[in-house]
Amino acid sequence: MVNFEFSEDEIRFRDSVREFAKRYIEPKWVEIDEKGRIPLDLIKKMGEQGLFAIPVPEEYGGMGGTMVMAAIAVEEIAYHDPSVAVAVYALLNNGWPLALALFGQEEAKMEILPKVASGDAFFGIASTEPQGGSDVAGIKTVAKKVGDKWIVNGEKSYISGVREIQELPEGGGFFFIAKTEKAVWSHKRITAFALLPKWNGKIKPGWKPTVFEEIGRHGISTGGFTLENFEIEDKYRIGEVNKGFYLVLQGFNIARTLVAAATIGSARWALDRAKEWLTTRKLFQGRPIASFEGISFKFAELYTELEAARYFVYKAAWMIDNTYLTKDPKFKPYDLNLPVAMAKLKAPEVTTRIYEEVLKWFGAYGYTKDCNLYRGWLGTFSYTIGAEGAQNIMRYIIARDVLGSEAVRNVWVKEEE
Amino acid sequence: MKALVAIKLTYDVNQIKFDKEGNPILDSCPKVMGEADKCAVEEAVRLKERAGAEVTAVTIGSSKEHYRILRDAYAMGVDKAVIVKAENSEKLDALTIARILASLNQRLGPFDVIFVGSGASDTHSSVIGPMLASLLGYKLLANSDKISFEDGKFKVVSTLEDGQYRMEASPPVVITVTSEANEPRIPTIKDILRSKKKPIEEISPSDLGIETREVTLRNLTRYVVPRKRIKIDATENVEEAVEKLLKMLEEEGVI
Repeated sequence: MVNFEFSEDEIRFRDSVREFAKRYIEPKWVEIDEKGRIPLDLIKKMGEQGLFAIPVPEEYGGMGGTMVMAAIAVEEIAYHDPSVAVAVYALLNNGWPLALALFGQEEAKMEILPKVASGDAFFGIASTEPQGGSDVAGIKTVAKKVGDKWIVNGEKSYISGVREIQELPEGGGFFFIAKTEKAVWSHKRITAFALLPKWNGKIKPGWKPTVFEEIGRHGISTGGFTLENFEIEDKYRIGEVNKGFYLVLQGFNIARTLVAAATIGSARWALDRAKEWLTTRKLFQGRPIASFEGISFKFAELYTELEAARYFVYKAAWMIDNTYLTKDPKFKPYDLNLPVAMAKLKAPEVTTRIYEEVLKWFGAYGYTKDCNLYRGWLGTFSYTIGAEGAQNIMRYIIARDVLGSEAVRNVWVKEEE
Repeated sequence: MKALVAIKLTYDVNQIKFDKEGNPILDSCPKVMGEADKCAVEEAVRLKERAGAEVTAVTIGSSKEHYRILRDAYAMGVDKAVIVKAENSEKLDALTIARILASLNQRLGPFDVIFVGSGASDTHSSVIGPMLASLLGYKLLANSDKISFEDGKFKVVSTLEDGQYRMEASPPVVITVTSEANEPRIPTIKDILRSKKKPIEEISPSDLGIETREVTLRNLTRYVVPRKRIKIDATENVEEAVEKLLKMLEEEGVI
């Protein structure tokens, strides 16, 4: 039985997020992009509204919802902040808390997740390093067990939320990976941790952050940090030692789905603006621009592509729910790779194409800063580059899944002596 | 204190589309709780939070959407929900609706305060509150923009064409709430998920001893303000154009 309808709960939830976003996010989105920060009181309000940790079980302070609901929330938020800064803040604090809830230790989950859910702390992802992000297995940051603690040394780069965790009252941190054995090139020697550089309001020693300046979605910070003899208690280890690679990839599947949801929300906003413009802007003896097929056919194509991308997103979210939340034995974590990669490949690229066309339809006005379309364009463009996985990695995953890993060279299983 | 809030299923005014003649296309329009009714629920829930009132929400109708707006009221914080299952609720006249609510007051109440929206988003007849107060012999605080409960009294501010009225009354009272009265809370995901598990008590109009006669409208005159378009050319002399615009707006009684 195929059912493409959202349930009544999902529709009521969507309406509530829409109302919230209309009331509290839409009036501020340009200012958020202009000033380069999401006001802390908005983050707190989002926490009170239950927009973080949506798929996390209630016993850990989460909302007890689903990934489909998280995707709905992220899409709606992005529609009302098409620069996607607020949506990205929300998606990180939905996706990575779920990964922690699935794989973390009980004590750490009870300690961290309620604070993330309430909006008092941030919880994102820190895997990328200066030498590259796509080669997850090739990270150089090292964690060494000394007594009952881990001593970490290394550097992470292009990490979202570096400034926010310094500013939030409780702080926060990241789903973090480090090498736990000496090998340079192995996915089997990586361990995951909850790294909390600022916790209970205090910055821990050994953490030095920097914030980068980016070209878009300025509301959420991107930066990097070094770790020098930074101590992590063993209770914050996520999963077994040397099994972190498999866990972070599962986390990526969750977060990638939400990244795709954010871009389609922004794209929907752009197409809605275009719809209004193309039907009311009149040229050549009062003809609406939409009456020219060069434009209306392109609109039709992009509209169709966006709808296709939405199906990918919600199918991936639905599969994640079946895999981890309802735990249907038919669904295996490994089977998520393909649908998630397709959603993450399709959605940001369709979105960028939509912005490119819509900007042109708006003519010279589209190119002005008054028009604000550029904010959505630059913000979502980030996700055609990387963020939770580069597009070529998505292509690689799809090719590997469909053509087989023997036909497609499997770059990450190779081990070096 | 016991409070009742009556809500109506109505068209989502933000999503109504119009045909070429300017008639609303209602078949495909989603239905929601009325705007003023939402504010009435908000007032009832605030009374619960501030004065410990026990709040019951009621709607009249039998469709899936009627159940949904009661779950929405639960999500906003009411304690109980009742549906009066009238098959033909859209065709009932205002007096029958008021009689149903009055009879419900005897069956489930008596309520110290009954909140209703000052007017429904669709018909906006604004007569249910006054009729209900009259049937029950309750005091009426109509068209309330601001509502407070102090020293055992309800105090309201009502804005009418000729100015603001400040009124107060001690219970029992019927209060009609405008859509300006407050900013209704937005239910959280937890509120929404919990609300679907809560019971909705079903009562039939005949249980209340009410005969639900359908009322057929014979002559309904649509009053539509004709759209006027006046073009003022501002390309040459802006100041003159502004003067002209102001004069015209004044003539039209807009300013």
